[in-house]
Formats: sequence, structure tokens, C-alpha cells
Amino acid sequence: MARKQFQEEEIEANLLPVMNVMFLMIPALLMAMEFAQMASINVSPPKFAAAAQQKDEQEKKDEKPLNLKVFVMEDGFRVSADGQQEGAEAGKSQDSKAPTIGLAKQGAPLTDYERYDYAQLEAKAKGYKQLFPNEQVVTISAEANIPMQTIIMTMDALAGRQCKIAKALKGEKIPDECLFWQPIVEGGAS
Amino acid sequence: MTPEQEAFLAKKKEKAAARRNKPEEKANLGITSLMDIVSILVVYLLKSYASDPIVINPTAGQKIPMSTADAPIQDGIPIFVTTRGITFDSKKIVTMTPDGDIDPSQVQNHLIGPLYDQLAEEVDKAKQLAERQNKPWTGRVILVGDQDLKFSVLVDVMYTTGRAEFSEYSFCVIRKG
Repeated sequence: MARKQFQEEEIEANLLPVMNVMFLMIPALLMAMEFAQMASINVSPPKFAAAAQQKDEQEKKDEKPLNLKVFVMEDGFRVSADGQQEGAEAGKSQDSKAPTIGLAKQGAPLTDYERYDYAQLEAKAKGYKQLFPNEQVVTISAEANIPMQTIIMTMDALAGRQCKIAKALKGEKIPDECLFWQPIVEGGAS
Repeated sequence: MTPEQEAFLAKKKEKAAARRNKPEEKANLGITSLMDIVSILVVYLLKSYASDPIVINPTAGQKIPMSTADAPIQDGIPIFVTTRGITFDSKKIVTMTPDGDIDPSQVQNHLIGPLYDQLAEEVDKAKQLAERQNKPWTGRVILVGDQDLKFSVLVDVMYTTGRAEFSEYSFCVIRKG
């Protein structure tokens, strides 16, 4: 009996519908995409910080609270720790109007965000961090017309501009470069 | 005309005739490589889209502050605060004065009335949803501000959100570098 010979037919997949869908997906995804990388600054203390605080409870008991406060004024930063203002006028511990750190650019308008001496503020924060290694919280307040960008840059300087906290938020160790990275925003102070 | 030239012309005509009689071949477009590129592009875009669960689309003319912070944006309710107004749920609910302060008729003792009403409504909905899903409700608000936003406005917005039972705040920033 003669054997039938089968010849393999080459079947080509019709990719056109798939291509149509994909070409529609590309602009849709591009539209939804963020071109600038967004990040956030948590103003309230995160939950893991509380756990870390419990862990170091004994260490903290031995340490006096720092209560670091930074007040952003039109003419500079006023820094106070443990109720004592740095660079206060004679006889005044808390009510001094004099800035602890003056402006980096004298006479620059408020919209010039580089008018403040962030490097000196960061250096001061580093000094406090060496004395109080377990402290992470800083209270920030400002005069009414201080722009938000200045507040953010103040927070960056106090946290340490090299501080990368994203991994620590996932449970890793807090990097040594991070200083006071838990800001509390306080309003109404003057 | 020489015999060689005649022979050449005859051959040329034969070739032309053969070309004319040849059935038209169906041209196949090789789209496999194109498919590869498109597939890779779609996967890349989907991945980058999926890595950011919260999509912040700033309002027109808004300049989000720049920062060295790198913490990702956590799930929360965004409020867009610019020097021209406060936008919540795609609706402009509060207007500002030309100086960038909140319209005095809309704020009383730091409480921004229209914003509080909207937030209270939103909190009720979010709490009910969390109850149905047996999940704890985390009152987190994402403040999407503007570089020039005044600190006094920021404090008023934070006070209002606090009164509306939000206890956690995040400032949305653009990562530097």
C-alpha cells in the first residue's frame, strides 16, 4: 500500500491584532508615566521608628532628650536644643530674635531658595548628632511667608543631604549619613 | 544593426516578456524584529508604571519642590496646594488671593471650611471601605505643594487635615539628580 506523504505546511501566526493592541498600549503607558521621579518626606514619625525606639530604650533612658528645634526666619535659621537657643541675645534663652545661622546671600529675595546657609545648618546638625546619636526627630517651624521650597531644603539639610532613607524604610539599618530625618512641622510659633 | 545587437535585443525582449508573465509574488513584511522591540518597550513601560502605585499629576503651572529625599510615596489621599488654589479630587475648592494667601472668607481660625467639608466626606467613605475590607484605615494625606507656597498656608492645610482625622502627612517632592 502506498504511503501518503504529508508535507509540513508552514503556518504563519497573524500578528497584526497583537501589534495593534501593543501600539495602542505604548502611548497609553507613556501618557501615564512619570518623567520626573517623585519622592516623599514623611512629616509624621513612621511606625518602624517606634520599634527602633523601643529597641534602644535602655540607651535612650541614659540620654537626655535633645528637643532640637529649627525656626526659619527671613534673616536666617534660629536653632535651639533642650530649650536653649544658640547664639541668643544676652540674658535670653528662648525669646531671642537673633538668628543662629545668618543668610548665605544677604539681600537676596525670599524666592531665591539658596539665600540660606544650608551647609552650616547641616554641619550644626552633624554636631548634635554626634552628641545624641539616637535622636532622629527635629521640629521645624517658620515665619508665615517662608516658601515651601525653603522648608524642604531645610529638612534636607537637617536629614543630611547624603541621607538615603528608602532602604531603611524597608527594614534595613539607617545609614550613618542620616541625621535628623523625622521632621515635625510646627505652626504658629514666632 | 549587427547580428549580435539583434540577438541582444531579442534576448532582452524575451526577458521582459518572461517578467510580465511571471505571477505577482506576495510581499511578506518581516515584523518579527519589530514585535521584539515593541514587546520589550511594553514590558518596560508596564514595569515602570507598576513600580509607582501612586500617580501624582500636578495641576497646571504647579512647581513641585525639589529635594534630596528618596523615600517612595506611600498610599494616601493627595491634596494639591498651589499659590492659586487648593485642588482636591480634581476640583478646585479653595481660591487664593493674589498674594498667595487663602481667601479670608474661606478660612477661620486656621480651618479651611470647604477643604474640611470635602475631606470629612472622603474620610467617611474611606473608613467604610476599610471596614468592609477588614483593613485598618490609615489616615495619610499627600500634600502636593508648590515651591512658592507660603508656610502659613501649609500650616492651615495641615491643621484642616488634622481636624478631618488625618494623622500622617507626606510632602510630595521631586527627587534631585
